[in-house]
Amino acid sequence: MIAMDKILTVCPYCGCGCGLYLHVDRGRLVGVSPSKSHPVNRGSLCVKGWNAHEFVIHPDRLLSPMIKDKGEFRECTWDIALDYVAHRLMEIRDRHGPDSIGILSSAKCTNEENYLMMKFARAVVGTNNIDHCARLCHSSTVGGLAAAFGSGAMTNSISEIRDAKVLFVIGSNTTEQHPMIGMHMLDAVDRGAILIVADPRRPQIAEFAHIHLRHKPGTDVALLMGIMHIIVNEGLVDIDFVRRRTENFDTFERILRDFHPHAVERITGVGIEEIRRVARIYAMEKRSMLFYAMGITQHITGVDNVRACANLVMLTGHIGLPSSGINPLRGQNNVQGACDMGALPNVYSGYQTVTNPRARRKFERAWKRKLPLKPGLTVVEMTEAAYEGRLKALYIMGENPLLSDPDLNHVNEAMKRLDLLIVQDIFPNETMQYAHVVLPACSFAEKDGTFTNTERRVQLLRKAIEPLGNSRPDWEIITELSRRMGYDMKYRGTYEIMEEIALLTPSYGGMLHHRLREVHGLQWPCPDVAHPGTPFLHRKKIAKGLGTFITVEFKPPAELPDDEYPFILTTGRIYFHYHTGTMCRRTSVLEREEPECYVEINPDDAEVLHIKDKSQVRVSSRRGSITVFARVTDRTPQGVVFIPFHYSEAAANLLTNAALDPTVKIPEYKVCAVKVEPLIKEDRRPRSIKIVDLEDLRIT
Amino acid sequence: MTKEWILPKGHLSYWLRQLRNTASLIAPLRVDGDIVFKSLENIHEVSLDNPALLPSPKEFLFPQQESLFWVEDGTKVRQLYNNEKRFVFGVRSCDISALRLLDRFYLEGYEDPYYSLRRKNTVFISIVCNNPDPTCFCIGLGTGPYLEKGFDIQLTDLGDRYFVQAGNTKAIRIIRQWKFLFNKPKRVDYEDQYEVFLSSKARFQKRISLENVREYILAGKVKDSFWGSVTERCFECGGCVYECPLCTCFTVTDRVYSFGIDRVRLWDTCLFKGFTRMAGGILPNEKKILRTKRWYYHKLIHYPDVLGGFGCVGCGRCTVTCPGKIDMATIAIKLRDLQDND
Ligand code: SF4
Ligand code: SF4
Ligand code: SF4
Repeated sequence: MIAMDKILTVCPYCGCGCGLYLHVDRGRLVGVSPSKSHPVNRGSLCVKGWNAHEFVIHPDRLLSPMIKDKGEFRECTWDIALDYVAHRLMEIRDRHGPDSIGILSSAKCTNEENYLMMKFARAVVGTNNIDHCARLCHSSTVGGLAAAFGSGAMTNSISEIRDAKVLFVIGSNTTEQHPMIGMHMLDAVDRGAILIVADPRRPQIAEFAHIHLRHKPGTDVALLMGIMHIIVNEGLVDIDFVRRRTENFDTFERILRDFHPHAVERITGVGIEEIRRVARIYAMEKRSMLFYAMGITQHITGVDNVRACANLVMLTGHIGLPSSGINPLRGQNNVQGACDMGALPNVYSGYQTVTNPRARRKFERAWKRKLPLKPGLTVVEMTEAAYEGRLKALYIMGENPLLSDPDLNHVNEAMKRLDLLIVQDIFPNETMQYAHVVLPACSFAEKDGTFTNTERRVQLLRKAIEPLGNSRPDWEIITELSRRMGYDMKYRGTYEIMEEIALLTPSYGGMLHHRLREVHGLQWPCPDVAHPGTPFLHRKKIAKGLGTFITVEFKPPAELPDDEYPFILTTGRIYFHYHTGTMCRRTSVLEREEPECYVEINPDDAEVLHIKDKSQVRVSSRRGSITVFARVTDRTPQGVVFIPFHYSEAAANLLTNAALDPTVKIPEYKVCAVKVEPLIKEDRRPRSIKIVDLEDLRIT
Repeated sequence: MTKEWILPKGHLSYWLRQLRNTASLIAPLRVDGDIVFKSLENIHEVSLDNPALLPSPKEFLFPQQESLFWVEDGTKVRQLYNNEKRFVFGVRSCDISALRLLDRFYLEGYEDPYYSLRRKNTVFISIVCNNPDPTCFCIGLGTGPYLEKGFDIQLTDLGDRYFVQAGNTKAIRIIRQWKFLFNKPKRVDYEDQYEVFLSSKARFQKRISLENVREYILAGKVKDSFWGSVTERCFECGGCVYECPLCTCFTVTDRVYSFGIDRVRLWDTCLFKGFTRMAGGILPNEKKILRTKRWYYHKLIHYPDVLGGFGCVGCGRCTVTCPGKIDMATIAIKLRDLQDND
């Protein structure tokens, strides 16, 4: 075995998709270093990337399949576990029909695995009930941008950021959540670009902003419409572009008239002068890039927020050129890929809709199975269906709905009612307690495949070490299960799965593994094997023909503060942690930095409530209540509190509202009403480290 | 005690192959667009005209993650030492200079047994830099591009041959094992070597005097507002510490398996607030500015006072890796400009 090997692969955390080397010493993972030639990270990494090696060998890793027997998990062989799962799934399908089975795919798994999972759902089980966590973060993007342009992804490349002249960042804490994109933004600012940040809180990126708009949470539509109103009024519209490349402008303009700056000022709390400055700067500069993230999408008006952004770029013609476009920053390392692969209830890979008979026939011919016609259930609808008893079985790959979904108490109950819950993951998680079967999967270091980052770059993931214990790569588990259910998927490796994807998915037509090996991946669309990939979209022509102005309306958030619950709660991530914490909370440095949940509250509010920094407080909403430490900071404006959602011991999603966007069903994580009360007794206790139970320390 | 030889270029791969037969051989190799230190499989893949490599070769003495000992049955403790003999080929002069200070940190007073063993088992073969990178600034620090002493084996590329210097008895013994590959240097070889030194020195793009910076800071001229503007740009990635050949921060953690406990040492960084967390959860350095300042104070004030040299050898790695562009060289240049305007 090689004493010191370094294998180029992709960071398993965020959508930046940084290239990193895994260091392997005689088959053991010993470290990480950045790739210097990678176009995204260029020799840098964020702290999560630097520590990506540690969680892989954490003692908590699931290493053997388990079946629950009288309330206890018992280890068993793969044969027994897979036979059991196959048998039960077929039984449930025969008794209750295929639509009584739901499947959650994963934005943490590779493209190949997501493709197989959706093939498994549609061809083997026979249902379109497949979805994944993109529903909870960017379904509004997929819905909103696709309708406007025919494609729901970042239109530019990350490396174009440094050449931009104006960066308009709305609802994204970029330097902390997409650090390497933040690095490029800082670079652009150093080179003279103007940075506009719109965010109710003051994220780190706002420290560099020339203009920081702090609108009230949930008023993004009003703010954007106000900006557009001024652009139209002052004649800053790119008329030529609007005429040649877009449609439906007139109807839109009529709606726009309602958003008079005075009204907008009242709704958003942002002064007219500020709005006017932003409108002028954004519209007048040619190389303007718009960025947005969860601050836009996670609202009941998520799709409208995205549409408003799309309208803004069309109005000013800031699309279809390098350093000029609209850029949703996608969270998970492969959330772009999971969507591209059709791990969604209404589309096959490449966003070919299941209701389109031609697309369906194509897949039916390739897969040699009749496919279901009706679009399936979304994540939150599956929980609902389970709660009502319509959904009998749920197969979850690499997700943790019992921490990530809104209104957790309700999800809890829903999971309990399932006849069959299959959890396939690398670590035990909250959802596992209700599972009937647990299947141990491999981490990113133990398998091959591809990830698609937020700039549409499809990159190779390379296997660095052998699977730990009895764990298996997700794709192997799916093929095995499928075979036992009478549908033999024969692949010799992930490259063969990719070949099939390329055959059936126009935008991935040229994405073959051997091509991705030579460079740091290719950006879709890449229709054939000679195509060099596409750094920016909508060149010369909007993908779907003409860009469509879609009218939007301002709707206030579903739950607004009142006398009883006077604060707006907004949730999000923090730099040292990631989503439900499965990986980062098992990394010693990351966990040490932020071991506990907290709530950020403005100093003025804290004073009124007699809350001291680092004292314990109770935060409650109509749905639940948690106890956390207060962090008094003016990063959060008055009337708003912020809680990170990583912590299962104080799960922010016990509080959040499951109100959904009507079109794409994204829950409103960013706004709900809460109250905050000090817990006087423990007031003087300093913020403490996690106190390890002495029992645990005893060595037996 | 230095001894010199000439190694014709054509003999290099044979020599490397021989070295590989006696110990494991690590060298800079070109893979996937980058050059990284790896175990050498194919001698022809060695790439010597490389820019500074990420990360520094300190990983071979003080690995990013290493098991210290293993506990079984609650009481049985087994120390885990890495006894492997290694050659690390193609290291740069600045990194060799860094070893001097690493040695003082890990070996003086309390001798770290893990470091010590690896240090004894590793022979570094360094290369004089004919072509410094735009990020390099060792020249102002006397830590490169070539070394007068402190190396194990130092090679200078003279076009068709290498000028070979062995800096200690162990190194001399290694060369003598394959004496027939090496010739005695002639006068012209010494002259050519000097020529290379001169031309290399002329190629530096950055000239930085950390001594000036140190004095400027000690004179109390650098305001907190300056450090504030630096700190603001810190992404808290830890990259500067991880990459720096001189940084020694680590943390220790226990991995409790059902069949035993693994005590592991991992790279850490003083730039994180939790690094100095005290009992009861007190964070003495909760403010980010304190940590940034300390990093610079430690390298520029404390190190020279205590260890007799700057905590920086001018390798330029932090310049490459820092996403906020607040690396040693940039800050030194900024402070110099401030000084000029004073
Ligand atoms: S920026 Fe994202 S992809 Fe890059 S190292 Fe950090 S978490 Fe990983
Ligand atoms: S401080 Fe920067 S330039 Fe100096 S030795 Fe460390 S990494 Fe190299
Ligand atoms: S490399 Fe730069 S951004 Fe990262 S911790 Fe060091 S100073 Fe901060």
